[in-house]
Amino acid sequence: MTAKPDPFIHPITRLSICGLLAAGADWVEFAALRDAAGISDSVLSKQSVALEDAGYVEVRKGAVGRRPRTWFRLTAQGRQALEGHLAWLAQLEEAVSASTRDAQQARPVPADRHQPRRVPPPLLGSS
Amino acid sequence: MRDVARDPAALELLRVQRSRLADRMRPPWWYLPGAAIVWALIFAAPFASRYLPQGDYWAIAVAALAVACLLQWGLDRATGLKVGPRPLRVLRDGLFYYRPGRPALIAILVVSLATTLTEGSLIRRGLLADAIVVAALAVAAEVALQQARLREIRRELRDGGGAA
Repeated sequence: MTAKPDPFIHPITRLSICGLLAAGADWVEFAALRDAAGISDSVLSKQSVALEDAGYVEVRKGAVGRRPRTWFRLTAQGRQALEGHLAWLAQLEEAVSASTRDAQQARPVPADRHQPRRVPPPLLGSS
Repeated sequence: MRDVARDPAALELLRVQRSRLADRMRPPWWYLPGAAIVWALIFAAPFASRYLPQGDYWAIAVAALAVACLLQWGLDRATGLKVGPRPLRVLRDGLFYYRPGRPALIAILVVSLATTLTEGSLIRRGLLADAIVVAALAVAAEVALQQARLREIRRELRDGGGAA
């Protein structure tokens, strides 16, 4: 798998939807996806249509009694794009933490004010 | 809600969201008693084939299958996640395609096969009481394994399954 950013799933909402659909379940229901992603119904509807049009997500609509039920699944194309994007993000995370470590190491260590002052031992013969 | 992922923070957010999704994979109160009924019906099959007419044996088999399908459908509906067996995917991806919770699923199959064989052997030798004890213990073991499977699925959902 190659680490490659995908501008289409880079927006956080789309990334969340794809990441949750790739977590291991075959199909995820609308309410479960909405609650886990922490987004509103309208945002999920809008983004899922965009992802479906791009071929990243498959949508299945049904009903239980009078209540409509919508299920989502990640397509093979969506999974491939997500894996590449997540690998790229992981590389970025690694690079950021490495540069933070380097910056901390390069900074001079400030003298500790609370450390007790070292008193030189008295010279022999002095009183 | 932020519009664009601020890179490394997005991965952390995704971990939190996956954890929330995994928490939904908790069985409703009726699931484990229902599973116990299914396993009791399955382990009643060796007795039925020996002591009941052929028609009754098939009636028990169909009842076990129907209750199992109903339980899976109910679990999918209650959790909003479909992670159970997908018979049609076996046709597409082969018998050994990966499912979340596979180690526990293999243990479930091994226990059911061993129990059926042991029961059959005990019934043939006329040790009916022993066969009943074996069946009862196997039902308890299968329900415990079913719980373990759900725990495994939760863990895999939290860890992100195949992605990342």
